[in-house]
Amino acid sequence: MFNYIARRLLQIPVVLFVLSLVIMGLMQLLSPQQRAAAFVTSDKQIEHLDQIIEKYHLDEGFLVQYRLWASEVLRGNLGFSRISKEPVLTTVRKRFPASMELALAAFVPIVLVGVWLGTQAATHRDSFLDQALRVMAIVGWSLPTFVVAIWLVAWVYGGLGWFGIGRLPSSLLIELAGGDFRRYTGLFTIDGLLNGRLDIAAEALKRLVLPAAALVIVVSAGIMRVMRSSMLDELGKDYVRTARAKGLPEKTVVYKHARRNALIPVITMAGPMLGRMIGGIVVIELIFNFPGLGEWAAKAALQLDVTTLLAFVMLIGLIMATANLLVDVAYVIVDPRIRYE
Amino acid sequence: MNPQDMKPQREAWYRSKTFKRFRRNPLAIVGSLLLLGFVLVAFFAPAITAPQLASIRTARPCLRDLGIKRDEVLAELRNPLKPTFWKATLAPPQTCYEIPRDGFSPLPKPPSKKHPLGVSGGSYDILYGLTWGTRTAFYVGFLVVGISLAIGIVVGGMSGFLGGTIDNMVMRVTDVMLSFPGLVFVMIVSVIFGSGLTTVMIALALIRWAGYARFFRGDILRTKAQEFVDAARAIGASPLRVFLKHVFPNAIGTLLILASMDVGSIVLTAAGFSFLGLGAPVGYADWGQMISFARGYILGTAQGTPFDFWYVWIYPSIMLVLFGLAWNLLGDAVRDALDPKS
Repeated sequence: MFNYIARRLLQIPVVLFVLSLVIMGLMQLLSPQQRAAAFVTSDKQIEHLDQIIEKYHLDEGFLVQYRLWASEVLRGNLGFSRISKEPVLTTVRKRFPASMELALAAFVPIVLVGVWLGTQAATHRDSFLDQALRVMAIVGWSLPTFVVAIWLVAWVYGGLGWFGIGRLPSSLLIELAGGDFRRYTGLFTIDGLLNGRLDIAAEALKRLVLPAAALVIVVSAGIMRVMRSSMLDELGKDYVRTARAKGLPEKTVVYKHARRNALIPVITMAGPMLGRMIGGIVVIELIFNFPGLGEWAAKAALQLDVTTLLAFVMLIGLIMATANLLVDVAYVIVDPRIRYE
Repeated sequence: MNPQDMKPQREAWYRSKTFKRFRRNPLAIVGSLLLLGFVLVAFFAPAITAPQLASIRTARPCLRDLGIKRDEVLAELRNPLKPTFWKATLAPPQTCYEIPRDGFSPLPKPPSKKHPLGVSGGSYDILYGLTWGTRTAFYVGFLVVGISLAIGIVVGGMSGFLGGTIDNMVMRVTDVMLSFPGLVFVMIVSVIFGSGLTTVMIALALIRWAGYARFFRGDILRTKAQEFVDAARAIGASPLRVFLKHVFPNAIGTLLILASMDVGSIVLTAAGFSFLGLGAPVGYADWGQMISFARGYILGTAQGTPFDFWYVWIYPSIMLVLFGLAWNLLGDAVRDALDPKS
């Protein structure tokens, strides 16, 4: 197992390498001037694009360019982001905690709601509850993320005045906390708890509820559908009949025996679900005015900021590769029969 | 009996068990009716919006390209006997997809006699956008499914037919395509090739084919293992003939049906990009683009007044959700009918 994880970790740089080749290949479709922007590190340099083109041989062949670009990246220079007016890496460091906090706040309810509703639908097969849940899942699956987000902002925040939108601004944080607030993780809810300031954690949480709810509505429907059908599969198997015949209570049969096996297809769905979640986070951050990586990337795409987008793509590649590794490890935890050599 | 009469009889599709299961599913009926409604709206879009075309001055380019004058619009576009009716219905000029503007005021106006569903910011007629947007939705959905299906069938078919190293390589490529978030891919393509509805459609097709290729390959491998394929091989049919005459036609049915149900989700995705500003340009008859007008009103206004301009975003978002719902209801029913176990 340890060997397997180590080998998979070594694969991540390979994935990133292939990804960067593809990106650089696509970059060749741009003009040398546009490509030069990827090497600019300060505002002043933008005025001297010709020098940069010459310095980095941007009008030469693909291999020459790639080598130079890669050596810059390996030295930690991912370029200058026009959107945030600072080096890309600085922005990533600032904005990553925001997106991470949102993703974590949504992830737990997505899994819990999806698995729980799927189990309920399967155990009450063809009852009214099952039919209602199935219709709900189809409707949830048909809702575009941005529509859900707009309706939540309008109705719950605008109309009812509940919760909040936008992340806790740093200035407000300093005002609330005074000088002695330490940022351990950058996630305001957790930092608030660690500092013993429940009020700050609550304030940060209040602003997380709506964006997280939007993600839960859109993503958990898919998990519920998979969970329902795999649970039905498992409940029809012989070992479940045996368990029932032994006289085990129905609760034990469903929750201890069947559900554990039914979770395997759900874990397989984790990859596509993460993709849907990342897509959702970009749109949701934009609508809820949440200063995370997604909002940054969306603005970069609108303003044709290639450098920012390239960094974002590499980051997504890294996240997806790590997530797939975690999925494989999760398999082993749920199903001890699976062994990796 | 004559040997020619002994051809195996194919069961008519409408008598098959699969169709019976589909027909008995109430959700399938709801989905079909919704979809029928959308087809009718799309088909009669010029007839429905004839009053707007006649009364709003900025609709002129469309009328010019149709070759009619303003006072003839109602008579021409609502009479199926006139050739203009068929021209407008079957092959309307691109200019008709621009929503006509009744003035240039940045403030939306509520529903009135002239504009039954109101006008959005920039005075774009909402009813016009919704009806012609139905056409855009079908166009985007069918084209993206068509292109990606074509790529998927060729690649998946080759992969399943040839097997070996090529198969392995193709599957690794699809692995990467399937795990990479589509949104990010569309963003890159938009930055490099410039944003627009066409770019979004091409980018979506370039992501979608991987899923179809995988699915088709699986079906081909399953069909290949069946006895009639062995029989064909045993009587000496060449590998290419076995593939094209026996494997391919038997493997492709399910893929075609399931892929056609993806139209809804593609339209929802494309609308998302139009909403972000990467898809259809401002003023184009596209639901996602119309909802994007709401961003300023909902997020810009203070708490307590989010519904001042409700008509700007509620109508198009209802259309979009119902469209997605119609296809997903159908798709779910089709999947259930094809696989009685689930």
